[in-house]
Amino acid sequence: MQPTLSLQNISKNYGSIQALNNVSFDVPMGSVFGILGPNGSGKTTLLSIILDILNAPTGSFTWFGKKSSAESRKKIGSLLETPNFYHYLSATDNLQITQAISGRGNAADIDAVLETVNLLQRKKSKFSTYSLGMKQRLAIAGALLGNPDVLVLDEPTNGLDPVGIAEIRNLIKQLSEQGKTIIMASHLLDEVEKVCTHVAILKKGNLLVAGNVNEVLINEDIVEVSAADITLLENILQEYPSKTFLKKEDNIIQLYFPVGTANLTDINEYCFQRGVIINMLLQKKKSLETKFLEITSATNN
Amino acid sequence: MLQLLKIEWLKIKKYPAFWWMLAIVALTYPGINYMFHSFYENIISRKDMAGNVAKFILGNPFAFPDAWHSVAYFSSFFVIVPALLIIMLVTNEYTYKTHRQNIIDGWSRNQFIHAKMMDVMIISIIVTVSYSVVAAVFGFYFSDAVHATRWAEELQYIVLFFLHTFAQLSWAFLLAFIFRKAFISLGVFVFYSIIIENIIKTYFRFKEWSSSEFLPLEISNRLLPMPNFLGKINAASNEAYKQALANINWHILYTIIITSAIWWLCYFLNKKRDL
Repeated sequence: MQPTLSLQNISKNYGSIQALNNVSFDVPMGSVFGILGPNGSGKTTLLSIILDILNAPTGSFTWFGKKSSAESRKKIGSLLETPNFYHYLSATDNLQITQAISGRGNAADIDAVLETVNLLQRKKSKFSTYSLGMKQRLAIAGALLGNPDVLVLDEPTNGLDPVGIAEIRNLIKQLSEQGKTIIMASHLLDEVEKVCTHVAILKKGNLLVAGNVNEVLINEDIVEVSAADITLLENILQEYPSKTFLKKEDNIIQLYFPVGTANLTDINEYCFQRGVIINMLLQKKKSLETKFLEITSATNN
Repeated sequence: MLQLLKIEWLKIKKYPAFWWMLAIVALTYPGINYMFHSFYENIISRKDMAGNVAKFILGNPFAFPDAWHSVAYFSSFFVIVPALLIIMLVTNEYTYKTHRQNIIDGWSRNQFIHAKMMDVMIISIIVTVSYSVVAAVFGFYFSDAVHATRWAEELQYIVLFFLHTFAQLSWAFLLAFIFRKAFISLGVFVFYSIIIENIIKTYFRFKEWSSSEFLPLEISNRLLPMPNFLGKINAASNEAYKQALANINWHILYTIIITSAIWWLCYFLNKKRDL
């Protein structure tokens, strides 16, 4: 299937600082693609290049299989870095400009997206009177206007309160279920973990890894086991075949297996046959944060 | 093109500075001309010999057909008012980063400059219409029956006034486009047009070099030479005035060249630079 966005060898420097170094990856259609990286890793630079705000001196990229153009940008709802609106205009007036430039949506759609982001009550207020969170909501409304098939969201939950963050997360999930392609830059790993199907991790302009979340972030299975007699459990599990590693944390034993090889039924049966009744048995994903720190710190060494 | 214009109108119509600019133009253009007219009235209303001489020499610069030229000359001093608006309209885009958002939403980089050129064009037209109305009202009000019939004789000044305004507003646009910050652009525009260019002109005159006519603003200033108020008694001034009139055609060409170069530079830079 044609990728929605394809990057080939994109590099960008600001004087002697290499902001992006030979970055290539594809964003599959219908994916929620998270671009992760610490501050200053090149996430916003990358999004600015694919939206034609910055020129990339080397490399190329295509949207929908074609060279990027103003026409291709019209089909993409975008929020880049900060909410950019005319301060003296109201939400409705600002979105009318977005609508007129992009050709996405109509007057009724403007009210609909303002309703989605809970700004309908304040639609006639000037942008300059908005709080940071409201400005961010308006920027999201602008990106959603006309129901585009592709969304580019740079730190979409910036400035939002916890309720707002949860709302946006749900919104992204809903949009993803509708088959939209969402490209999202974030340093909030929890947020990405909850919604992304694909990730790319950047550090100091270098692409460390990119691909499906399950391939990139999960390279081992972790099984947590507990029993009334934790010492006995530990002793018998030390002998359990096929595990790579055992770790004891308080009253829980963690067993590590090569990806896809953990078998919970077998572990249960193994313990039962040796006279230990398990009172907890669950398979865990390694948290994205742990994995992210592993990947980004590995390159330091 | 019409779509670009519609979008610019959405941006401008609720921008208070735009309406302030219109109000100030609507006041200053009649105001400055009325001031010079009062000055003229004071001189000729003197009952003594000097008053009669003055009336004979000066004629009435506010009667047709001279009204078109005189009002254009005096009004052109106030190009700074629309220039201020242009600078605000352009630097606002950079301050609010809407120059980026417009591109993100689907304009090409060239369309952004097209749209801004239309702003400059529309504001030049508004200012020219204001000038034309003031000149026509003054002309008809101060002409006697004979002069009134000559109202159509110097209508070319409407075109020259438009070209002068468009050229100088394009210069203001270039400064705003390059500096991006309102205060810096305004400062450079005012400082250059009032002080720097005049110093250079004086220096050139002192050195007896003729090339000051090619300074960015002087090129278009010479489209509207100072009216020949005293020409009837001063042969040298009369000669210089005739020469200035004869040079207008050249300055139309120079103005078109420098204005085209300014816009070409804006298109070029906007394509090349990071937004």
